[in-house]
Amino acid sequence: MNWKETVKVLLLTAGFVLVGNLIGFKINPIEALPGMLFLLAIVLAGLALAKIVPIKLPSIVYISALGIMLTVPGFPGAEWFTAQASKVQFLALCTPVLAYAGIASGKDLDDFKKLGWRIVVVSSLVFIGTFVGSAIIAQVVLKFTGQI
Amino acid sequence: MKKPSEWKVHALVLGMVIIAELIGQKKFQVGPGQAILLPMLYALVMGLFMGPKYLKLVTMEEMKLATPFISISVMLLMAKYGTTIGPSVPLLLKSGAALILQELGNLGTIFFAFPVALMLGFKREIIGAVHSIARESSLAVVADIYGLEGPEGRGVMGVYICGTLFGAIFFGIMAGIFGSLNIFHPYALAMACGVGSASMMAASSGSLSAMFPEMANEIQAFASASNLLTGADGVYASLFLALPITEWLYRKFAREDKSQTQTKLAATKEVR
Repeated sequence: MNWKETVKVLLLTAGFVLVGNLIGFKINPIEALPGMLFLLAIVLAGLALAKIVPIKLPSIVYISALGIMLTVPGFPGAEWFTAQASKVQFLALCTPVLAYAGIASGKDLDDFKKLGWRIVVVSSLVFIGTFVGSAIIAQVVLKFTGQI
Repeated sequence: MKKPSEWKVHALVLGMVIIAELIGQKKFQVGPGQAILLPMLYALVMGLFMGPKYLKLVTMEEMKLATPFISISVMLLMAKYGTTIGPSVPLLLKSGAALILQELGNLGTIFFAFPVALMLGFKREIIGAVHSIARESSLAVVADIYGLEGPEGRGVMGVYICGTLFGAIFFGIMAGIFGSLNIFHPYALAMACGVGSASMMAASSGSLSAMFPEMANEIQAFASASNLLTGADGVYASLFLALPITEWLYRKFAREDKSQTQTKLAATKEVR
């Protein structure tokens, strides 16, 4: 994907998120616009860093790192950034991502039909086992260290 | 044949977002627990059935066209994660020990899924299938050690495909049920939400934060921090812990021609 394509898809997704944000959370797009522009700026800066910095890391590493840095307590303007970003609801951001994922994954439905029920059972147990295993350790350590 | 249209894909996504958000969140009772269905899950399911065999709204080429759009649109979500983690950094540092140690809990899949996979009659497919939650990094490790054509590769591909198609739905519902059962603290569950893909995490932490709105920020911060950690350590956990443990269990419990196991192991060592 070239730059032009990437920016186009980013802007489209941002627009879809603002629509979802309005319908699902009754947040006026004009009110959410500064937060959305802030998130877009983080993404573009992250992409640019991934290109410039000689250490090859995936761009999402730079994007999340920038997001953390700008909103960590004590960073100049952190509170304002956080307040703006919070107007763009997390759940509204997920909906278009999963809509794209749904369309793209539709082509795997045929592969899935060939798999058979046994692997579906095993997959479900893999999901439960990974989730519960992690929750058990987290619960024990949080209790032990007095966090909960 | 008509030329594949990128704009049709975008227009469909907008349509799905509008329909999904209009339906809104739905709660329902599952046994003793409560599950939450989120708009993102409706969007996913609608998307899955857009293809030529079902709703006939997109062609095979257009489905392929949509693949890079996932990784672009997910960047906005990653930026949002960053802004959720940032304000919670002090809390995350205090809970650092739990965040790091719960990564070991990802090995829980082996103990849950191994015995059942054995009972269901799987052979070496088990090693690929149950060693981890089978996201891209595990796929890469299994491909590297065993190749994707053999039984281990078939195993990991099977779970990978199930995860891509139903992982988000499964995680969304599972997190909701566990959240309502009151066995685990929402923070512990939030960390568990980060064990898989970005969409699994989005769906599960979404359900949890809809259930505990007063803790929504902390839940998303824990979930995304855990997901970032899994992204960083997943390859090594598969390579040095999960696969050797599963191999060992398989040698111990599966009845198989010994010589075949030996050659496989020798091959494994050579690759490493």
